Amino acid sequence: MYSWDFTPVVANADLLAVGLINTLRVTGAALVFGVALGLVLALSRLSRRRLAAWPAGFVIEVFRTTPPLVQLFWFFFALPLVIGIEMTPYMAAVTTFSIQSAAFFAEVFRAGIESVERGQWDAARAIGMNHAQALRRVILPQAVKRMIPAFMERAIELMKTTTLVATISYADLLFAANEVSQKTFRPLETYTVVALVYFAVIFLASLLARRVEFAMARSGEGTLR
Amino acid sequence: MRWDFASVLAHGDALLVGAAGTLRIFALSLVLGLGLGLVVGLGRHARRRWLYLPATAFVEFFRNTPVLVQIIWFYFALPMLLPFAISPLAAATLGIALNSAAFSAEIYRGGIQSIDRGQWDGASALGMSWAQAMRRIILPQAIKRMLPALTNRAIEIFKMSTLASAIAYVELLHQGKLIASLYFNPIETYTTVAVLFFVILWPLVQMSYRLERRLKRNE
Repeated sequence: MYSWDFTPVVANADLLAVGLINTLRVTGAALVFGVALGLVLALSRLSRRRLAAWPAGFVIEVFRTTPPLVQLFWFFFALPLVIGIEMTPYMAAVTTFSIQSAAFFAEVFRAGIESVERGQWDAARAIGMNHAQALRRVILPQAVKRMIPAFMERAIELMKTTTLVATISYADLLFAANEVSQKTFRPLETYTVVALVYFAVIFLASLLARRVEFAMARSGEGTLR
Repeated sequence: MRWDFASVLAHGDALLVGAAGTLRIFALSLVLGLGLGLVVGLGRHARRRWLYLPATAFVEFFRNTPVLVQIIWFYFALPMLLPFAISPLAAATLGIALNSAAFSAEIYRGGIQSIDRGQWDGASALGMSWAQAMRRIILPQAIKRMLPALTNRAIEIFKMSTLASAIAYVELLHQGKLIASLYFNPIETYTTVAVLFFVILWPLVQMSYRLERRLKRNE
């Protein structure tokens, strides 16, 4: 019978805490860049100009269709040689996950914008707004509200995806777990604790997302799905 | 800089071995994941608490932890409790299959719940038991509605299969890593691997779009 002993894990809690903070740092940075870039991609894809729509569609499809780990390896091992710069694991991770989540956010934005009734555009035009004004003042405020649930779900997916950075030795929570388990020879306890930490953080975020979705369904704002 | 794909093509056989490994883990995870997902989904649909509660706990746990953490747990942590070692294939398949079971369980549950109450009533009026009604009446209709979502799951499983490379299972990305480190050609190798994945998955993605559109038209 295996005798469990969590004391070595507790003794290294500070290492794991730093790992968790690094996980949240990558998630936060990728989220900010991903949302901004996602909006740009969505607007380009919806544009009537082929020169804008086509490249945006290409980026979205490529990043949604290839595995994130392949993308991460490409950005970490291949890109630095192509453009001749030094790439830290953190930079590679933020770049990859920003573009990858931007591709998914773009589809959320697109669905949200397309869900706003045609009449809203017509009315905005009728009172003399141009395309950009109508988008900013009339369409996006309504669309963004509907997108919030899909948005939060994507953000949670993003946090789960960030565990991949451990494979290029960025010191996130999973990487810290690997270190602690090798140091203490307690892989079972370490990985169990770390799995539970991930579960606690992500489950809380999921509960929050569900509550927001519920509140919005009640307020009559139809959610996307 | 000069692109040199010849050094990658020269090791096409190694990539082929990797592709076979990718397909093997994909097929295993797909069958086990979607099969177990149906069982868990029925549990989530059940009114009996001893079925509903464990199924819900399973779904919540596996949906709210990263797959890579699960795979690594099965590879490095679980063997401490077992009298035998776990192969990379087994650990990765366990992680991916259980994760996919949790996600597909919600697809099955949603599909089953979307079927009109009257279908159940009609089936039991004909004297069918719960299991017969489920198998003959409800599931055939529900599966049709679930097809786009299940196709998406299959695509996700294919993408997840790359995570097995983290525990040194021989699949496409793992072979790419090997070639890149032996011949110092990461640009060409990783580009080739990315293109291979894209070429394999692109038709599947298009199929899921088409299924989705057809479903929207029919409903």
